[in-house]
Amino acid sequence: MWGAFSECLPELSEAKKRGVMAIPPIAALEIGTSRTVMCVGESDESGRVKITGVGTYPTTGVRKGQITDLSQARVGVESAAKQAEKQADVSIWQVLLATSGGHIQAVVNPGMVTIRSGDRVVSREDIEEVTENAQAVQIEADRQVLHTITQSFTVDDQPGIVKPEGMRCKVLTLNAMAVHGLKNRIDNAVNVVKSAQLDVTDVAFSGICAALAVLTPEQKRNGVVLVDLGGGTTNYIAYCNNVISAVGCIAVGGDHVTNDIALAFNIPLNRAEEIKRAEASAVIDSDSGGRRVTLQADVGFEERLISCKALHTVVNARMDETFRVLRSKLDEAGVLPHLGGGVILTGGGAYLRKVTELAQRVFGLPCRIGLPVNVDGLETVEQPASLSTAAGLALYGRLTYADRGLFSPLKNLFKGVFHR
Amino acid sequence: MSQEQQSGLLLLGVGGGGCRLASSVMAAYGDGLRALGVDTDALSNRTAAADGMTCLLLGGSRLAGHGTGGDAIQGRLAAQDDMQNLLPHLQGVRTVVLTACLGAGTGGGATPEIVKALHDMGIATVCFVTRPFAFEGESRRKAADRVLPMIEENADSLVVVALDDLFSDAGEECLVDAIRVAEGLIAAGITLLWRLLSRPGFIRLDAERLHTLVLKGGNARFGFSSAEGAGRASQAVVAMRACRLLRSGDALSKANALLLGILAGQDLRLAEIGEIMGKLRDVCKSDCHVEMGTVIDSQYDGRIELVALAFESWTAAVQVEPRKEAPSSSQEPPVAETFPIQPGSKRSRGKGSKLSFGTTGRGKFQNVEPTLFGGQDLDVPTFIRRGITLER
Repeated sequence: MWGAFSECLPELSEAKKRGVMAIPPIAALEIGTSRTVMCVGESDESGRVKITGVGTYPTTGVRKGQITDLSQARVGVESAAKQAEKQADVSIWQVLLATSGGHIQAVVNPGMVTIRSGDRVVSREDIEEVTENAQAVQIEADRQVLHTITQSFTVDDQPGIVKPEGMRCKVLTLNAMAVHGLKNRIDNAVNVVKSAQLDVTDVAFSGICAALAVLTPEQKRNGVVLVDLGGGTTNYIAYCNNVISAVGCIAVGGDHVTNDIALAFNIPLNRAEEIKRAEASAVIDSDSGGRRVTLQADVGFEERLISCKALHTVVNARMDETFRVLRSKLDEAGVLPHLGGGVILTGGGAYLRKVTELAQRVFGLPCRIGLPVNVDGLETVEQPASLSTAAGLALYGRLTYADRGLFSPLKNLFKGVFHR
Repeated sequence: MSQEQQSGLLLLGVGGGGCRLASSVMAAYGDGLRALGVDTDALSNRTAAADGMTCLLLGGSRLAGHGTGGDAIQGRLAAQDDMQNLLPHLQGVRTVVLTACLGAGTGGGATPEIVKALHDMGIATVCFVTRPFAFEGESRRKAADRVLPMIEENADSLVVVALDDLFSDAGEECLVDAIRVAEGLIAAGITLLWRLLSRPGFIRLDAERLHTLVLKGGNARFGFSSAEGAGRASQAVVAMRACRLLRSGDALSKANALLLGILAGQDLRLAEIGEIMGKLRDVCKSDCHVEMGTVIDSQYDGRIELVALAFESWTAAVQVEPRKEAPSSSQEPPVAETFPIQPGSKRSRGKGSKLSFGTTGRGKFQNVEPTLFGGQDLDVPTFIRRGITLER
């Protein structure tokens, strides 16, 4: 497991002791499948994080969220870092890294403690003990725990208790969800960053980062699923009653849509990407029949006419399937009936035309695009939803610094969530 | 529990045409038949429900009960949406007799999905599907032909009834009449089969034997005939041999297994059964496996009705040497010419499925770890795996 953030920066502990939260700018790096994003976030005492610098660079050497070519991926990191440094006017030497990929999994581990005191009242020690038990998750040796998320307490047979202290019961149970991934895959990403002369202070799962940036407290209370439609992966995180109930990653993303288009019309991938951005729709337009889209001629490429309906059909099939896979995963986790807040889409894929309409149909729930509203400074950025993960990672960095005595509104929300 | 429920048989109508067929069978058969209709069109569902059939609306959230408008993709998606709703109706079911009219949206789109789901659940399926009349247009016919291999892949037995075959001299009937008559005829055939299974005569054909036949028999041709008066037995056989649905006896002579039902009144004589079987054996191959059953119903006094299912690729368990003869492609020329999956090669399912993709199907994901879900490689384009034909 990665060391706590404060251990890396001893001078901060001193600052904490003085009661002053002087947090240096946080650099958050996401090596996405389609582009590498570096965000620099600066925070004030209110707990808000403002993004002061953004660097992006098209990624090569990454497939489905996993590094396939270290040196190619390094170029993206260096370029994005340079750009972000320039914009934020800082010098970056250490970063937080967001990770994703089909290998990311979540397992729920129950912790249990029998209340031994004579009056059978739950004490603080009991809570600490049960938390410890719950967090002692056994995973395979080749895996690494990224987060241990404590869910709600069960007091005897009564589930969904947030604060059990002082309650009378015989047995206190706490479930903890461990999000873990393959050690080697995570190390590969870390090594890419190291090869770009940067230190990695912490690694977080992309889906959790995006949720931090996008979801509002009300949405989490109502029950919501955040779907981060990335280039190589689709991450999801579901909240029921303010508790993270399902987390996962499907190794299918925007790249698959592009690949499908390229294979359907026998065109190069870059042209497929171009036409996806310009003309694709997640729902087959009723007026698309007979309509044709022109693919301009290029060197070694003759002008082509492509059926608009066929294009929509290819994209619809892929997106429909992705949502269905996701629906079945949520169904498996038993969270589908508890998502009153609906489905929130974020990430670059959220800008695909009519994608919310399709998601609404598949999930039978209200659906909309989620922007990184919990982070400032992205108001003028084009397509801010595509920066949700990196911006959320900066916020994650801020929250893992936060002293529990301060920032009370956020404290409760994330209490225990990132207890590591 | 009624006898029908015990038998584990369910009649399932898919789409408007399929529901009409199923409800015709219901009407002819009377009470007690376990039947279910599924359609995307709320109006046609209501009509079928009025006939006393249980109906399910498919794709309500997607199509709002307005039907697919002839779009098979919508039909397919609607079936995927609401497959869960079908499950409660399948409890205790071992064999499903499915009826559908291909060529339109729901029949063409939802049927392959439903058959696949049934197959995955281990339920045997006999699919009675119709190919549209030639005069209904080439596009409907092509749409039907596209769907056939997809149904065939998962169906245990597929009976394709080309509507054109039902009329020896087409031209006299109006379209509406022709379709109604055709549906009536097919429904009569299925009803007969149904009666055989549920109303015991003195030689009983039970659901178990149908189940076995269906599982081993492969694709089938379906035909029926009737005759009355003196010499009715031989007349019925002659009519059966002339039945266009059985390619004028061609299907009988090439069948490896034959299921024959005899429906007659109280006056059926043993000698008549002997005559029918004798004459049919003359037509069939010497080693043709024949299963026979009778239904006695006093309504049929003075009359004999025959229903036959001629299976192409029956392989009996005791048979030591596998059959060398490939199922004759002449039996299904319109389909065989068009598709990579040959009718009769049903067991394409056993060979591992629809189309095999080499490395080309994965494109840029050629050399990366595949994303597998539900036995599928998600890196292969969805439209290919779903068998969607793209507009060119």
